[in-house]
Amino acid sequence: MTSLRGAGAEEIIVLSGLSKIFEPTPRWMRVFARTHLRTAVRALDNVDLTVRAGEICAVVGPNGAGKTTLFRIIVGLTTATSGTGTVLGLDVAKDSEGVRQVVGWMPSEDRSLLMRATCRENLQLHGRLQGMRRHELAARIEEVLASVGLAAQTDTVVAGLSAGMKARLRLARALLPGPRALILDEPTGAIDPIAAHGLLKLIMDLVAEQRLGVLISSHRLEEIEALQSQALLLDHGQVKHSGDLDTLRREWDTPELELVFADAITARYAAAELIALGLDTTSTPDDPAVRCRPRAGDRVGEVLSRLGPLARDIQHVREIPMPLRDLIARVYAREDNQAGKVAR
Amino acid sequence: MTTVDSGLPAALRRRSFGRKVFDTLHGYIRVDLVEEWMFPASTVLRYLALVFPVLLYYFQSSFLHIGDQTYLLILIGASVTAGLQDALTGLTSRLQFAQERGTLETYLVEPIPWAMIPLSMNIWRSVTGALTACVMLALGTALGAPVHVAAIPAGLGVLFLGILACNAVGTLAASFLILFKRGDPIITFYGLVAGVLGGALFPISVLPGWLRWASYLVPHSYVISAERRLLMSEPPAGGPSPLVSAVALALFCAIAVPVAIALFDRSLRLARRLGILSV
Repeated sequence: MTSLRGAGAEEIIVLSGLSKIFEPTPRWMRVFARTHLRTAVRALDNVDLTVRAGEICAVVGPNGAGKTTLFRIIVGLTTATSGTGTVLGLDVAKDSEGVRQVVGWMPSEDRSLLMRATCRENLQLHGRLQGMRRHELAARIEEVLASVGLAAQTDTVVAGLSAGMKARLRLARALLPGPRALILDEPTGAIDPIAAHGLLKLIMDLVAEQRLGVLISSHRLEEIEALQSQALLLDHGQVKHSGDLDTLRREWDTPELELVFADAITARYAAAELIALGLDTTSTPDDPAVRCRPRAGDRVGEVLSRLGPLARDIQHVREIPMPLRDLIARVYAREDNQAGKVAR
Repeated sequence: MTTVDSGLPAALRRRSFGRKVFDTLHGYIRVDLVEEWMFPASTVLRYLALVFPVLLYYFQSSFLHIGDQTYLLILIGASVTAGLQDALTGLTSRLQFAQERGTLETYLVEPIPWAMIPLSMNIWRSVTGALTACVMLALGTALGAPVHVAAIPAGLGVLFLGILACNAVGTLAASFLILFKRGDPIITFYGLVAGVLGGALFPISVLPGWLRWASYLVPHSYVISAERRLLMSEPPAGGPSPLVSAVALALFCAIAVPVAIALFDRSLRLARRLGILSV
């Protein structure tokens, strides 16, 4: 893994034992409006996390895992039930206004932009609320729009921008005050893969250049992998894994082995042998290649040695890492199984 | 751009409260101006439409032969009510628009105290409300309504207090909107009640005694009564003097504005805790 942070990097975001229980809507409020919340819902359960300067942490999980709740606690749009959260040492509950000065938040929806205003006008409103002086703001708007590649669209009405450009403008808005931390909620949600790749590259460059601490959520796992980030796997508010993706792979990945034989007949014999050994094996009749997945802890040499004389006919061996999607599904499935066993 | 030492970006070092108020007002006025510019035809039509109620009351008074003073009485009531309506509904309509559009949360994550939002968000609509009342009265004067010109500055002062009082009522409705996503039931109810109890088209002396006491609870009645007494040469008999009305309005504002802002802040905090700011 290529880490963007240096040794002993400054801690930007620190969460400790953070939990959130959404209480049911009080009865007196139900007189005025129908509620969707009639029982308490645990959205986050004892989450610990540290994001350092120059580090990206991807928050991954299915819908309802607690990703957005986590982000909303940091930017002050909801409160934690217990635990603490700090950004640059500022408490997210007690110093929310201070935290909001040092965090740039990029919400997931384009709707958060004023559609009939220009890019400049959108940024001017937020710059004023952030307390930027007129001349400084004018210069900063040019700077951030250039940094996200929207210099030519400075005076273009937002409604006329493509989805990718709107995402860049939301990023520019988050960057406007020169934040130390960025919270990016599904930044590539509505944009095509090429624009998404460009946006993520831009984010990585900014993180490296400005040494920001970044929390990002995305459903596109290939993007998470491309970010070379730390990962926080959440499910029903609980942390399933926290750390870098290499560690996740070391702990959970059992790569597939592709064995290419001299001919299809030998491959068929080898496949039968591997199946007899109890390994998950796939092969096709006319293909000289066989794929099998060693059990956790099995070394490649052990698998090959079990093939006996057939191993001599192997022409090529390739290790195929598990796709991140399968890896994460495996983490969730195994945790669920363990929980099931404990319950039984 | 940033300083690691202080932990805060250089551009955002500590701001005084006064600076925050200025920045917030400036930011919201700017976005209101941009919004006016976004839909220029609707802005023009809104002001053009003011001509017609003035003409309506003018021709009605001609048809009914009710004389200049009665025309002016109705004109003052209608103008002031129209002006106060802008201040009354401005905040809830802006907030509801922001809630539905998804822009509200982007305002809330900016580093300003939430208590500043109601008055800042409504300041432009308050100005346009005052402008509406003045334009209607000016048009009426052009059509022959005998306005007492020397009293206009005092009239503007009373109008300012009335607008501030309506900001308080609007902020109360906005607190309701934050929690229940609909603020218009309160505003619609209050607007209709204020039209009757405030005596928009008649002096409140015509109300039966049991209803008249209730009119003294509505700021509209003080504003309309004071404006009539200031701007008309023959105002209707009865009712408080302009000074008493101004004092009553100032007292109402002194109590209602801080209470409404505190309630708005509490509503936002409750909605934040319950996780319903955007739901």
